[in-house]
Amino acid sequence: MTTATTVVDVHGLEKTYGKANERQYKALKDINFSVAEGEFVGIMGASGSGKTTLLNMLSTLDTPTKGDVIVNGHDVTKMRGNQLADFRAQEVGFIFQDFNLLESLTAEENIGLPLALKGTASKVMDQAIHEVAETLSIADLLQKYPAELSGGQKQRVAAARAIVHHPSILMGDEPTGALDSTSARELLDLLTTINQKQAMSVLLVTHDPFSASFCQRILFIKDGQIGSELKRGSQDRAAFYQQILNELGTFNE
Amino acid sequence: MLGKLALAGIKNRRRDYLVLLAGLTMSAAIFYMFANLATNRAFIKANAVVSQASLIFGFGAVLLILITVVYIMYANSFLLSMRQHDYGLFMMLGATRKRVGELVFLETLILGAIATAIGIGLGLLMSKFLVGFLLNMLGLHLAHLSAVYVPAIIATAVLYVGLFILASLFNLIRLTRTTVLKLLHSDEQANQPKVKPFRQLIQGTLGIVFLAIGYWALAAIKTLQMTAIPLALVTITLGTYLLFRATILVIIRGLRHTAWAKKHLNGFLLGQLNFRVHNYTRMLTIVSLLFAMALGAITVGSGYHKQLPMMAKTLGTYSIAIHDKTPAEQKLMDQLHVAYTATYTQKRQGKTVYYNADELAKQPVEQQRYKKSGQPEAHLYTQSLKAFKKSGTQDMNFMALALGKVGAYTPKILSAEQFAKQTGKTVTVTTIRVKDLQQDMKPLKQLNKLENQRFTPPTNMTVGSYQGYEMMNAFFGGLEFMGYFLGIAFLAMLASCLMFKILSGAPGDQRRYRMLYKVGVRQNLMRWGIAKEIGILFLIPGIMGVIDVLFGLQMFKPLMVAPMSPYLGIGSTFLIFIGLYVIYYLITLALYWRIVLPKTTTD
Ligand SMILES: Nc1ncnc2c1ncn2[C@@H]1O[C@H](COP(=O)(O)OP(=O)(O)O)[C@@H](O)[C@H]1O
Ligand SMILES: [Mg+2]
Repeated sequence: MTTATTVVDVHGLEKTYGKANERQYKALKDINFSVAEGEFVGIMGASGSGKTTLLNMLSTLDTPTKGDVIVNGHDVTKMRGNQLADFRAQEVGFIFQDFNLLESLTAEENIGLPLALKGTASKVMDQAIHEVAETLSIADLLQKYPAELSGGQKQRVAAARAIVHHPSILMGDEPTGALDSTSARELLDLLTTINQKQAMSVLLVTHDPFSASFCQRILFIKDGQIGSELKRGSQDRAAFYQQILNELGTFNE
Repeated sequence: MLGKLALAGIKNRRRDYLVLLAGLTMSAAIFYMFANLATNRAFIKANAVVSQASLIFGFGAVLLILITVVYIMYANSFLLSMRQHDYGLFMMLGATRKRVGELVFLETLILGAIATAIGIGLGLLMSKFLVGFLLNMLGLHLAHLSAVYVPAIIATAVLYVGLFILASLFNLIRLTRTTVLKLLHSDEQANQPKVKPFRQLIQGTLGIVFLAIGYWALAAIKTLQMTAIPLALVTITLGTYLLFRATILVIIRGLRHTAWAKKHLNGFLLGQLNFRVHNYTRMLTIVSLLFAMALGAITVGSGYHKQLPMMAKTLGTYSIAIHDKTPAEQKLMDQLHVAYTATYTQKRQGKTVYYNADELAKQPVEQQRYKKSGQPEAHLYTQSLKAFKKSGTQDMNFMALALGKVGAYTPKILSAEQFAKQTGKTVTVTTIRVKDLQQDMKPLKQLNKLENQRFTPPTNMTVGSYQGYEMMNAFFGGLEFMGYFLGIAFLAMLASCLMFKILSGAPGDQRRYRMLYKVGVRQNLMRWGIAKEIGILFLIPGIMGVIDVLFGLQMFKPLMVAPMSPYLGIGSTFLIFIGLYVIYYLITLALYWRIVLPKTTTD
């Protein structure tokens, strides 16, 4: 069912909020799609369309009502307890809109957390942290605490934490949502670099056409269903951006 | 409008307010109970066997007031930490500082007034039932204790309302001095204290010096008299605080750079501790003092309780002496666990009491030795009749077998024939030494009562170790009771101090553990992490408290004559106390797990 080059494979995914005897709300309806290894895929939709819900299913933060989610060969819907935690710790890197950094730890300690959880030797850990810090140009920020960092810096630290342990996929839920336009652009460039240089698959959720224009492929989601799909192909980012805007025009009618 | 908003904010944190209110109420109730005991003149007069009794109660009251002041300061900072964010929000929404200030003032005062009122009510009820229960358990009688005592009510109300007015003012000043932004983000602020080696070293040394002064003051209570206590209290508090401040941070920093810190959640744990080290040092100081006082008070209390029978052993060679026993008395005597008993026939004539040599030879009189200091020893021996005639007849224990209105008769021993011829009032006396005074307390009490009804007991003198025990019990009863009472009071305050700390940290921790959950930390790892963090919060003051008590017991040495010692039998008391403490830790931990650990699916 999954070929070696598929990182995420979603089949007939459904999510209904609310218990059987309460008022129910179907947030996701029959979602099907896959992400190939090394791909940079965007999921785009208006607020409330079900993007976060979908990402939570993929990252095992929540369980689907129906359907299969296969990430890097693991059927995440069948996992329980520690398996789920270990899966999140090892297979996915996650960047959140609100950074999700621990304010009691320095940037370095925050970045090292996924490695610490794995029980990595401290020398190896230092090496990995400094490597990733170099890539994201935050080497001079390592000893600072989150409270001493700007939004853009915080998000770069969060990105470093998300990739330091080389997960099979990097997921971001509106990671630019809390950033100013310059910082947002820097972060998106970084994601592109990570995607290309480290051949890491990236799944980016956003409502913002500009952010989406950095992706290679975009899935449009509306009312919990995937409507259309756009591929960047060989066109440059500006042209793709225009295409997205056009698509949104028709998509939202 | 603002009032409504404030009310809504309070509603949202109902649980926290309930805990705060409960803690303050308990504290007020405890204070009332103690004030009732300490200031009730009729009660003190009736029980002041020891001239020091009122002094002891006065000292207890001062201690309780001091601790109450600290406790309310602590509760107040908890209140403020709960409300800061809301106040900041109000100001951001355009409420004037003055208006918000009024709100703060009123809120604190209303909360305080409610707590005081309920607390006094509760104190009345507890005085009625709890104190009686405690006294009963200890087998003590304290006369003239009434639950309702108006001066105590007034004292409690004045102290508490006064303290809350101060607290309100403090909150007002604090709030008007803090910027809106700081208020809004009060719970997210990184508080990263710097380590300055030189200053740290000075703090640490100073801390140890202060502690040493404090411990010395307690040991030297005989020379320092009443200045010892306040001196020790201040220096030990300061010393503990400085020591914690100097060492905890350094230890955390040191550990942070080790490889150990880079494993699993260890780094997170250290980060958490480092993050809150300032709040923690204050809290740990208070808790360690409360721990020490609770443990100390209970140790002293139970020390008296345990050592009295031991002491009583030396108070006489026999437990009780019965003259001309009645059938009712015989019945009671049959219930005793007898170690040694003897019955002698006396003939009393003039100022002399005659004994039959045959009886004395058959049932030799048990005697005790005396140390050079005049202290009796617990070890007993018997002599041959010849030797006894020479030296034993003058012993107090033997003399006390024949007491008249004028005093003791002079004993004289006659041969059986002479004794038969001797005229005089014939009395038979039975002496009984029981195996364990504590075990036979009930029948002994009744026997003593019956004996005293038939023969008016002598004043200023006790016959047998049971009477000695009874007198000592009354003598030290007040002290013992106060020990237990204060111990329980301090323990209750300690419990609620820790609860405040735990609850005020919970919202932030909830967020942090949710983040860890998202990053993929196993549930068990988080459980352990929490267990360690809270465990450290319990362990540090526990250790410090035990050290404080071990030194502090010196204070009671002058009050306890050998063979009593404040250190005797403290092991079991410590064990029970620590057991209670561990149980409290486990309960707190379970509670914290429930509040802080993320549910396994998002909601
Ligand atoms: N825990 C929940 N319970 C009930 N409804 C929810 C819950 N989480 C999200 N929803 C609903 O599901 C829909 C999709 O939400 P979400 O995935 O957060 O949207 P998006 O991230 O695209 O803005 C929304 O209508 C939202 O109200
Ligand atoms: Mg969302």
